Amino acid sequence: MRYLMMSKNTDTPPDENLYTEMGKFIEELSASGVLLATGGLEPSGIRMTSSGGEITVTDGPFAEAKEAVGGFALVEVRSKEEAIEIGRRFLRIVGDGESVMQQVFGP
Amino acid sequence: MDAHRAVDAAWKRESATIIAGLMRVVHDVGLAEELAQDALVAALEQWPASGVPENPGAWLTTIAKRRAVDHIRRSQRLDRKHEQLARELGQQPEPAQDDVLRLMFISCHPVLPTEARVALTLRVIGGLTADEIARAFLVSEPRIAQRIAAAKRVLAEAQVPFELPDASELAPRLSSVLEVIYLIFNEGYSATSGDDLMRPALCLEALRLGRLLAELAPDEAEVHGLVALMEIQASRSAARTGPAGEPVQLHEQNRGRWDRLLIRRGFTAMLRAREIGGTPGPYVLQAAIAVCHAQARTPEDTDWAQIAALYEALARLLPTPVVQLNRAVAVGFAEGPLAGLALVDALTADPKLRDYHLLPGVRGDLLVRLGRHAEAQLEFERAASLAKNAAESAFLRRRADEIGLAAAPGPTVGQAAEEFLERADLNAATIRSYRQTLRRLRLTVGDQLPLASLTADHVAHVFATAWDDASAKTWNRHLSAVRTFGAWASLHHLAAGIERRAETRSRTEAISSPQLDALLRRPGLPLRERTLWRLLYDSAAGVTAVLALNLEDLDLDDRRARAGGSRVSWRAETARLLSDLIAGRARGPLFLSDRRPGPSRTPADADICPDTGRRRLSYERAEYLFKQATKAVDPAGNGYTLRQLKRGA
Repeated sequence: MRYLMMSKNTDTPPDENLYTEMGKFIEELSASGVLLATGGLEPSGIRMTSSGGEITVTDGPFAEAKEAVGGFALVEVRSKEEAIEIGRRFLRIVGDGESVMQQVFGP
Repeated sequence: MDAHRAVDAAWKRESATIIAGLMRVVHDVGLAEELAQDALVAALEQWPASGVPENPGAWLTTIAKRRAVDHIRRSQRLDRKHEQLARELGQQPEPAQDDVLRLMFISCHPVLPTEARVALTLRVIGGLTADEIARAFLVSEPRIAQRIAAAKRVLAEAQVPFELPDASELAPRLSSVLEVIYLIFNEGYSATSGDDLMRPALCLEALRLGRLLAELAPDEAEVHGLVALMEIQASRSAARTGPAGEPVQLHEQNRGRWDRLLIRRGFTAMLRAREIGGTPGPYVLQAAIAVCHAQARTPEDTDWAQIAALYEALARLLPTPVVQLNRAVAVGFAEGPLAGLALVDALTADPKLRDYHLLPGVRGDLLVRLGRHAEAQLEFERAASLAKNAAESAFLRRRADEIGLAAAPGPTVGQAAEEFLERADLNAATIRSYRQTLRRLRLTVGDQLPLASLTADHVAHVFATAWDDASAKTWNRHLSAVRTFGAWASLHHLAAGIERRAETRSRTEAISSPQLDALLRRPGLPLRERTLWRLLYDSAAGVTAVLALNLEDLDLDDRRARAGGSRVSWRAETARLLSDLIAGRARGPLFLSDRRPGPSRTPADADICPDTGRRRLSYERAEYLFKQATKAVDPAGNGYTLRQLKRGA
């Protein structure tokens, strides 16, 4: 099963140490065949809304920067517990913050 | 409960590294795995109460190492060296990734039978329990547990070192690892039995093992080839089963449901394999074929000529019937169904494919495209009855039904066979034997074939593919069964193309004393034959040695003779015969031929009787006479050989 993990932006800017730790973590997850895709997301973005058939396109930044997703990882795991275990390790590296994980169905 | 599952998840992620790390110290997979299991048990006891520790992997590793130290301290060999080792173990850096690779080479070691390699690899590298492995392979848990225990024992006895193989050994050892991974993948991807077409958990395990191996052995093209092959095949998982779990063939799959992410990963792996270069191995070739399919946006876009060429290259490396069959499919698309059918028909004579459901399945496809619907229908029926997987069998049955031709009038082969076996006048043993014969006949020609269409060619094909290697006795038993069936069904020509086979006795089968007595009682049997046969039986001496006997060699009083390096002795009856045969001669060969040598033949003096001028009896002649004399009593009708006279031979 696959999970999409999304981490929301934090106030604290990443330091050198975090980059190294995260690099190691990503390498390990790739090596063990768990990590399928990952990436960081630009803080600003494009917002599209449809209302009454009318589509509005708005450029970022978002009103609530903390609500924006800063990065994602698509993992292939044996169980929900394994996804949680990976989430734990991720959070331990990035420190305080919030992550959301959702199982991916399909394609 | 949740904590248990958390422990399990952590364990599966870490077990390979933990076991590999322990291997460095204990050098025994069984022990290393046991120590690691101890750590797992400790986690199961403590985590539900204490919560999952910050770094579960490190926690498990620490406990396992502590157990290893305890074990070494407890063990008899408590010397300085081990104390030292135990101390080092505490400070050892994280085990290198190479350790996991070493462990893989051990769990896939060629000293183990393939099934054991698969089970052990899933156990120590995948961290699966025996129960999980058993469920994946639809066998009982004790059997998997036994398999794993036996594998550990074999490895311990063989003292397989915890090392990476030498350069000279690397290729075969690596191919064993690849084989195990691909076996696991295939069992998941196209389950050979059971009701479900796929067992995704096994595919995932294999993919993870493959991806891991690609990181550990990045310079091996075949490893990347295997990963590419698995990624691309897995990309079609969702598309290859329909809503009811039925298989959907490649050219009918909704390509929009192919997983582009996995395809891209497959392409990337393929690129890595190409960058390494070298002559493409079997996995790289198979991956290249998979790439061709993945690149085609529609079935019509498929580059079948390229695929056929790749299969041809693959068939040179792996000339297996299954590869040949796939090649026939590709050729069927590249050059037309008739060309494909020619290749498939060449395969139908291969006994290895006789129960392979895809052979009639592929033939059926080609026949449909050629408009030969009645034949196609029969082939699909036959394929359905051969398929072991329920979903696949149902699918093939439906393909037969779709053709929808009305059955020809009159009974089918299947119906006739059932009716024949229900005859009241046969005993149970005969029916059992007939059923065996007819079962094979039905599997090969198909139950739905109209009985009236069953020909001697069909039957000859059955015999050639099924029983060509069987003993003459078995061959003849099936032949009588078919003849009886033919006579019953008024198809008298049925076994016309098949000859009875001579049931030769094996050389080691000796003639019994009553058999010999019966032979010797025969009226008119010449004294020479009577004596020779009796002497051979009595003495158990070699035929050549006995024929080489000269009168000078015989010690008639002691009933023995020296023949070359061996001694020949006999009993009273033979002694009587011998004295009659010698009849006053003093020198020269004991056994003489009936005739004098022809003018062109000049035998050595030692082979000529000085009294009569007759030459020594030759082996060929003696053998011929014996065969002639015993033809009538040999059930196979060949006659026996003189060697068979040797008692206890």
